Amino acid sequence: MSDIAVAGGQAARRDSASAATADSWRPPDTRRVLQLSLAVIWLLDAVLQYQSFMFTKGFAQMLAGTASGNPGVIASPINWDANLVQHHAVLLNTIFATIQLLLALGIAWRPTVRVALAASIAWALAVWWFGEGLGEVLNSAASPVNGAPGAVIIYALLAVLLWPSDRHAATARFAAARAVGAPVARALWLVLWGSLAYFALMPGNRAPQALSSMIAGMASGEPGWLAGLDNHAASLLAHRGLAASVVLAAALALIAVGVYLPRPAARATVVLAIVVAAVIWVFGEAFGGILAGGATDPNSGLLLILLAVTYWPTRTAAAAAQRAGAEEATA
Amino acid sequence: MMTPSWILDILAAVMLLVAAISAGRLVAARPRAGSAGDADIDIAHLLMGIAMAGMLVASLTTLPNGWWDAIFAVLTAWFGWRVYRESRGQGARVLADGHHMPHLVHSAAMLYMFVALNAAAGGGGMGGMGGSSGMAMQTLSAPVVAFIFILWLAAYVVLDLDRLSGPGHGRGSYFAPALAGATAGTGSVSLAASAVPAGTSAGVAAGQGAADGSHPAGRGLLATGSRSASARALLLSPRAAAGCRIAMGVTMAFMLVIMI
Repeated sequence: MSDIAVAGGQAARRDSASAATADSWRPPDTRRVLQLSLAVIWLLDAVLQYQSFMFTKGFAQMLAGTASGNPGVIASPINWDANLVQHHAVLLNTIFATIQLLLALGIAWRPTVRVALAASIAWALAVWWFGEGLGEVLNSAASPVNGAPGAVIIYALLAVLLWPSDRHAATARFAAARAVGAPVARALWLVLWGSLAYFALMPGNRAPQALSSMIAGMASGEPGWLAGLDNHAASLLAHRGLAASVVLAAALALIAVGVYLPRPAARATVVLAIVVAAVIWVFGEAFGGILAGGATDPNSGLLLILLAVTYWPTRTAAAAAQRAGAEEATA
Repeated sequence: MMTPSWILDILAAVMLLVAAISAGRLVAARPRAGSAGDADIDIAHLLMGIAMAGMLVASLTTLPNGWWDAIFAVLTAWFGWRVYRESRGQGARVLADGHHMPHLVHSAAMLYMFVALNAAAGGGGMGGMGGSSGMAMQTLSAPVVAFIFILWLAAYVVLDLDRLSGPGHGRGSYFAPALAGATAGTGSVSLAASAVPAGTSAGVAAGQGAADGSHPAGRGLLATGSRSASARALLLSPRAAAGCRIAMGVTMAFMLVIMI
């Protein structure tokens, strides 16, 4: 009898995907793939938050540092939070890391995706204030090259754009428009990339040595090859801060308005956005400093790449259906 | 600089649980000649669970690092061969959808960690990474490799969760054999199921049929049985295997981050 049970069990234990796939599992659609990509980044954040450094007073000092230059009403809560973390570093950091782990797992687990995305928005807004000092947008230190307007706010933006609702699915020309509609999605894109263009031209960022110093500063502690890349880029930009900032701002402004262009031009814009974000992530942010240890997240470059992919123009569902109907009629 | 030891203790306990579940699956399945099923995967999980527990808590160290190097080199080569075989039918799809690809990545990540630790220790044969007060921060010579592994492991974790909770899996057929046995308490015994070649769609359907009696073989599965058979079905369910894989993926990513 037990042998029989085993045989039944063996049929059942044909683990996973490959066996059951043939029956009912379907590959996730574009938006689900993007949600899963967001979950991967939250999971990366979670394990980074478990690093040894985060359990020390150094983490509290890092938080306190973001208060600098901010108005009192913003800075006071940051200092309060930093003080709290300093006194309960192990407990609070464990909670922080576990929350991020749960967000990742919750987004990946289909029945909880809405709850997890909603929670991720609330968490991201809290971290944007208490952990990133509102991305330094209020203290004139923000730069698109160092992570402005705060990497974590892009998590919240992605959660909104990837919300599992299809109210506008029939007319959506890109994944980001399915939940909120194309006009709102385009406006959010315009505000984000337009603000980056504005930050690039701020006095502190267009100074002759500003960009060069910023990039050179990222080389410290990085592996040799990445430090070499950073140092090389820094030397190329030395004393060319104004020209580099103008070029960067022009590219960012073009990206900002590009989603309003016809589909071929919009696609070119998205490609440009991915390239610019990748350059920022590698040269300006050194992969968020992860390879040097002590990073809390991969910084904004990776998130901007993911965001850009959500705006990749495709045919609307209605247009696709119309085209399919026309082809059928022709046949 | 240390990670709190209680976190490492918890993770080590989880890894030992994974090893125990994997050992249980091997015993419960008792693969016979010609129907080894996924025994290689369970063996890999068993070894990884023991090895990672030893890395996290020094007192749980079982074998010298050099031995683990050899073990995971063999496992990496084995799963590499399995993926190669799979790719002949599926092509590049095996990278995202292959049955053995996650296990290749897990084995390679383990090999990388042990080789990197050995190099960092100057070949001195570290007994483990955990100390009495926590995990010592290690420095890897190629952190970018660790970073790639972390992203890859994280991707498989979320893919596993998505599949487990997806249509046809979360509430239905994917977990059916285990859930049926556990809730009905009737066990899973079937002459018909034993006649169905394992791994075929008919075999899967037979297992799924145990949940609702929709399949002739499944009706047989629900016929008689015992609580031990229910427990066995639960142990052998895809959910158990995927749970082990998810736990190991998260723990491995954690360990790699600590070592950067």
